[in-house]
Amino acid sequence: MSRVDMAVDFAGMHLKNPINTASGTFGFGWQFQDFFDVSRLGAITTKGCAAEPWAGNPKPRMTEVKGGMMNSVGLQNPGVRGMVAESGEYLADLASRGTHVICQVAGHSVAEYVAALELFEELVPWASAFELNVSCPNIDQGGAAAGSTPEGAAEVMRACRPVTKRPLLVKMAPVRLPEIARALEAEGADGLTVINSIPGMAIDVHTRRSKISKPTGGLSGPLLHPIAVRMVWEVANAVDIPVCGVGGVTSGEEAAEFILAGASAVSVGMASFAEPDAAVRILGELEIWAESQGVKSISELIGAFEC
Amino acid sequence: MPTPSPARMHDFTVVENEPMAQGAMRLVIHAPALARALKPGQFVNVAVPGNAMSLLRVPLSFSFADAETGDVEIWYAVVGDGTRRLAMMRPGEASTVLGPGGNGWTVPEDARDIVLVAGGIGTPPIVSLAAAVRAASPDTRIRTIVGARSASALTGLTELRAVSDEVLVATDDGSAGHHGFATDLLPDLLAGADFCATCGPEPMMAAVARACDEADVFCEASVERMMSCGFGACATCAVETVNGMKGACMCGPIFDAKEVIW
Repeated sequence: MSRVDMAVDFAGMHLKNPINTASGTFGFGWQFQDFFDVSRLGAITTKGCAAEPWAGNPKPRMTEVKGGMMNSVGLQNPGVRGMVAESGEYLADLASRGTHVICQVAGHSVAEYVAALELFEELVPWASAFELNVSCPNIDQGGAAAGSTPEGAAEVMRACRPVTKRPLLVKMAPVRLPEIARALEAEGADGLTVINSIPGMAIDVHTRRSKISKPTGGLSGPLLHPIAVRMVWEVANAVDIPVCGVGGVTSGEEAAEFILAGASAVSVGMASFAEPDAAVRILGELEIWAESQGVKSISELIGAFEC
Repeated sequence: MPTPSPARMHDFTVVENEPMAQGAMRLVIHAPALARALKPGQFVNVAVPGNAMSLLRVPLSFSFADAETGDVEIWYAVVGDGTRRLAMMRPGEASTVLGPGGNGWTVPEDARDIVLVAGGIGTPPIVSLAAAVRAASPDTRIRTIVGARSASALTGLTELRAVSDEVLVATDDGSAGHHGFATDLLPDLLAGADFCATCGPEPMMAAVARACDEADVFCEASVERMMSCGFGACATCAVETVNGMKGACMCGPIFDAKEVIW
């Protein structure tokens, strides 16, 4: 057994450890069940779902770039009802085994976020929290278009807050973070997930066309890890609500950077694609690091960055 | 809950990795559990070492999986960073492979006259299928069309001739066989056929799908997409179908050709 207590409190949830999964990189959990015991994780965050199914964007949806990848999935999802029908039983069982299930909520408008959250509230008693995705770079309405200003993000939060008493997290776009974070805190957000993918471009110079079906896509992977650490640090310094760090984590030490920068939880994203059991390996490495720091609880290391 | 991918993580070592045709390589890896599990039409997802800036695996089809020797044979075109690095791997080198991925071909049990159409580096899933059909049913008629841009780029002729009743060749430049598209030769073969399988460039597969539709022959196509995970978690490998977007990794790579919106 570990000599360090790895449990953390995050947005009203008591996680057995800080490792979470980034929405959109972990499906609905069951895709990984034959690769490792998913219930070893503190939490998982499921793919964003809207009130109705979304088809997502045309192909090609992904291109690999140096140090990461760029996607334009466009939040293809089966809708809340479809998700519950397909994955509800698995997720309820996972929750019963002590892994918190955080369901991400997608919408094209304030009304659609509310409609999706109302369905979640009604249909998923096993979810510990909901994460509002006001930062997807790959949809024309909603997503980053809704959450890239303090006013826009606050409007979504204000409309959603009365729908549920469960914790509401917000997945943040990599722009104007401190001021948007403060606006969300003022509207009652319980926690912030920092950051969503960063808009990028990749051009095939021979055809002069985008390497994906849209001119821009969302970058993820190790290439953005130092940017994400900086943004987590800025947000953690701007608000009192807890932060989950996301962006390019492939090792326990990279997860530890988020913890030191002020994150209470850390999500593993792209790393799970090439290495399906990356999250649990990173958990083990994080534990070794925490032990090396001579603390009784990893909570003591949250925000322990010294400058 | 939908059925998770059958893929598991396997260690492998390279047995052979040599050029086989213009721009194409033949790789043999030793991965016994994988070799036992693979079915024709499924794919493998290879971690290729050599570039720390490149994280994703390279999804590839296979031409042979030998349960007795534990070897899996993979033919691939050298087209990007991943396959260029793969071409550098030498016998004895080791890495990991995720597989089997996807669904595999579903040849109707009563099919007795099948037509196969392979283009470019699309031959491996056709080779594995032809070998399996021949092994299971010596009497089934197998007629195969293989196309490439030129004679030097043709792959799989020897292997396909060994198990087909007839192999027709087409090249874009006329340097071997018919001067033109593989699909030019198809309509004559479809009369009387009860199953068709195709793998190759998408325009070719679209033409095969149309011809099979007109001839009322059930056709399956092996569809390729850029893929992040290969086991149903990322939603990047979407294929547009009459039944909505479907992931090539879980609902494919083999699709009913009528279902695909080409």
